[in-house]
Amino acid sequence: MAAAADVTFQRNILIKAAFGSAALIALALAVFLGGHVIAQQIISGLMLGAIYLIVAVAFTLTIGVLNFLNFTIPSLFMLTGMIAWALLKSGLLSFSGSWSWLIALFGGVVVATVASLLVERFTYRYFKAKHGDATEHAIPLVSSLGFLLIFENLVILAFGSESQRFPVPFKADLHLFGLVIGIPQIVSLVSALIVVAALSYVLKQTKIGRALRTIAENPEIASLLGVEVTQVVPVLFLLTGMLCGLAAALFTVNYGDVSPFMGDNIGTKAIAGMVLGGIGSIWGAIIGGLIVGLTETMSVHFLGGDSVEMVIWGLLLIVIIVAPRGLFGHAALGKGKL
Amino acid sequence: MLLEVESLDVRYGRTHAVKALSFGVAQDECITVLGSNGAGKTSLLRALQGLTPSSGGRVIFNGEDITKLSPPQRLRRRLSLVPEGRQIAISLTVHENLQMGAYCRSDSDVARDINGIYERFPNLGARRDMQASVLSGGEQQMLAIGRTLLARPRLIMLDEPSLGLSPLLVERLFELITSLHLEGLAILLVEQNTQMALEVASRGIVMELGRATLTGAAHDLQNNEQLAAAYFGHSSH
Repeated sequence: MAAAADVTFQRNILIKAAFGSAALIALALAVFLGGHVIAQQIISGLMLGAIYLIVAVAFTLTIGVLNFLNFTIPSLFMLTGMIAWALLKSGLLSFSGSWSWLIALFGGVVVATVASLLVERFTYRYFKAKHGDATEHAIPLVSSLGFLLIFENLVILAFGSESQRFPVPFKADLHLFGLVIGIPQIVSLVSALIVVAALSYVLKQTKIGRALRTIAENPEIASLLGVEVTQVVPVLFLLTGMLCGLAAALFTVNYGDVSPFMGDNIGTKAIAGMVLGGIGSIWGAIIGGLIVGLTETMSVHFLGGDSVEMVIWGLLLIVIIVAPRGLFGHAALGKGKL
Repeated sequence: MLLEVESLDVRYGRTHAVKALSFGVAQDECITVLGSNGAGKTSLLRALQGLTPSSGGRVIFNGEDITKLSPPQRLRRRLSLVPEGRQIAISLTVHENLQMGAYCRSDSDVARDINGIYERFPNLGARRDMQASVLSGGEQQMLAIGRTLLARPRLIMLDEPSLGLSPLLVERLFELITSLHLEGLAILLVEQNTQMALEVASRGIVMELGRATLTGAAHDLQNNEQLAAAYFGHSSH
C-alpha cells in the first residue's frame, strides 16, 4: 500500500518535472528564436495568466473545500467591472478627482463581494440547511448557474449590452532591455503574487485556514472539533468575491474595457487553467492559469486570434489524457485537497 | 448526574435506531454501551453529540438541556466524541490536528497542553510535522483521543476505539482509558470488545435493536447469559 503510494508519488513528480522542463525549454527556445517580439508576448501572457490564475484560485477554493463548482464566478468578475464603470459614469465620485477610477473599482469589488455572499445564502447554505450533506451536488451548481444568468441580465437591463470604455490614467510604459512593459501589467503580476502568498499563508498558518482545510477533508470532523461549519463557509464566499473583484479590477485597468459578457471568457479560461493544474490544488490553479495565459498570447502570435480556443482546449484535453488529475492534482477526486 | 438521557429517540428515515433510551452518567463514572452491530450504539453517541438530530426525548448535560445544540456548542460545554474509525484530518500534520483539537479554546495554555499530549504520546511528538496520513492505526487513535482531550472535555464518548488495533495496542488503549478515568474524566465507551470494556467500566448498558435490554454493574454483566444472547441474537431463547 505504502510502496504503491510511493510509486504513484514518484510518477507524479516525474510528470510534473517533465511538464515543467518542457515549458521552460519551450519558453527559452521561443525567446532565443524570436527575440524581443517573443519576450514581449511572454510578458503579455504572464499578465493575462495572472488574471486567469486569480479567478482559477477562486474556483479551486470552493471546489476544494465544498466540492462545489461555483458558476457565479464569471458574473462576480463582470459585476465588478460594470458597477465600477456605472459608478464612474454616474458622477457620484467626482469629489475624488483624479482618483475616482480607483474608488469606482473598489466599489465594484465591494458589490461583487456582497453578491457572492448572497449566492452563498441562497445556493449553498439554503440547500445544506434544508437537506444536509445529502444534497445533490448538482443542485447548488445549477442554482449558481441561475445566479450567473440573473446577474448578467440584470446588468444588461440596467446598462445595455454594449461594451464600455473605462478610462485609466496609466499612460507611461516602462522600457526595460528594449521591452515595453505597461504599469498595469506589473501591477497585475505583483498583485497576483501577493494574493497567492497571502492565501497560502492564511491556509497554512492561521486558525481559520486550518478550519477550512479540515472542512475540505471532512465537515463532520470539523464540527466535532468545534468548527461551526455554517459560519465558516461564508468566509469562503467572501474570499471568492474579493478574488473575482480583484481580478476584474486588474483586467479593467489593463484593457480599459468593460462589458456584461466580460466574465464569460475569463471564467472558461480560468476553469481550463484550474483543470490543467489539478482541481482543488491552489498551486495547480496558479500554474494552470499562467500556462493558459501564455498559451493564449503565443497562439495569437503564431496562429492568429481564431486559434486560441482550439489550442487551449486541445492542450487541456492532451494534459487530462496523459495526467487525468492535472499537473498538481491529488489522488482522491472530490474534496479535501487544499 | 453529569449526563442525563431521557427517553431519547433517534430515527434515520424509516429506521428507528434508538428507542426511548434513558440512562445517566455521573461525574466520575465510566460506562460502557454494549451490543451487536446495528443495535443503535453509534446512533446513540452521534445523537448525544448532536451530529444526528434526535427525534424525541431530552439530553441534559451538567444541568443544562442541550438537546437542540449543535456539535460545536456541545463541545464548548465540555462534551466530546471520538468517532468510530479514528477520523483524523489526514491532510493536516499531526501538530495541526492537535491545534484543531484546541479550536474551541482561546486561552494561552494551548501550547503547553499540546506539549502535554506529546509527553503522553511520544510517538506523536516524533511525528509532529508529518502528515497525519503516515501514522499507524494505533498512532491515529492516539491522535484522535489526544486531539479530543485538548478541548478539555468533562465527558468523553469513545465509539469503538479498539476497532482494527492489534491485541497489544488494544491493551494499551484500555490502559489509557483507565488512566483518563482516574484523572477524573467521565467516559461513555461503546465497544465490541465486551470483556475489556467491562473490565474498565463500572456499569454496562446492553442495547438490542435500539432498546436498553440490560443494565447493571460491570462485574455482574461479565458472566451474564443474556449478554451473550444480545450478541448472538434471540435464537437461543
